[in-house]
Amino acid sequence: MTTFEALAEVQDELDAIVIDVLGSVLDEEAAPAYTELPEGQVAWARLAIHDAADDSFTVAEVRVGIALARVLAGRMMYVADPGDDDVLDAVAELGNICAGNVKSLVCHDARLSLPTAGIGSGLESLSGAAVRVRAVVLGHLVELAVTPGASIEGLDWPPTAVDEELERQR
Amino acid sequence: MKILVVDDSKAMRMIVVRTLRQAGFNGHDVVEAENGKEGLEKTRELKPDLVLSDWNMPEMTGIEFLKALRGSGDSTPFCFVTSEGSEEMRAMASAAGALGLIAKPFTDDAFRDTLGSVVGS
Repeated sequence: MTTFEALAEVQDELDAIVIDVLGSVLDEEAAPAYTELPEGQVAWARLAIHDAADDSFTVAEVRVGIALARVLAGRMMYVADPGDDDVLDAVAELGNICAGNVKSLVCHDARLSLPTAGIGSGLESLSGAAVRVRAVVLGHLVELAVTPGASIEGLDWPPTAVDEELERQR
Repeated sequence: MKILVVDDSKAMRMIVVRTLRQAGFNGHDVVEAENGKEGLEKTRELKPDLVLSDWNMPEMTGIEFLKALRGSGDSTPFCFVTSEGSEEMRAMASAAGALGLIAKPFTDDAFRDTLGSVVGS
């Protein structure tokens, strides 16, 4: 089974991850959604999962409309008017939590990158076939796209001593 | 009681502090650090009674931080608060001397259940 097929089989669990994470960080009810993210400015966070079993990379990316991203940052950081740095920090952490849960769901011997985040519009989708799930919270959409084999360019990784520990335990 | 919260995300440090209060652990001094290296320095300098640390961080990961602490004979209670809650990571955390691993997203109950034995209300 390919990573994509494995991800497609756990799509309900991916839905649950997004809903649980949004519910937790925003303290609001979130629900699955099946419509496309509207065009316009978005805040995004991207992380990679390196699966040591087959030396493959899977990229998890979260996209949030900028209005919701500012609400998210405000709620997480207790500020009425969050700046771009606050928005990037909050969305990076949202991506980190989602990607960490995706890693625990589909890989058992894997390593997670550090999050990279940005704000922009007209952002192209990552190359490759992605499994996408969306949720609606406070009337806004959030998308999690998980793309096996996507480029990991620009992503940073934590120090590697932990990998050596995993190697010894194998 | 002094609690050191270590996470590279300012937003998550604030959520951890808020959840401590919501779990009923009020009135404690909270200090913060942005990665394991800074956490190690602050643990040695400030002697906290509890460390709550993320795992995946730049400069020094949480597991390296914990091993450095235990390697120097420091037995400060240490709990991970991390987005990765697999059995493998829980086992690695326990083997290194952590009292637990709270997986994100978390609830007040998870904090009470895991930290209740070391943190007073």
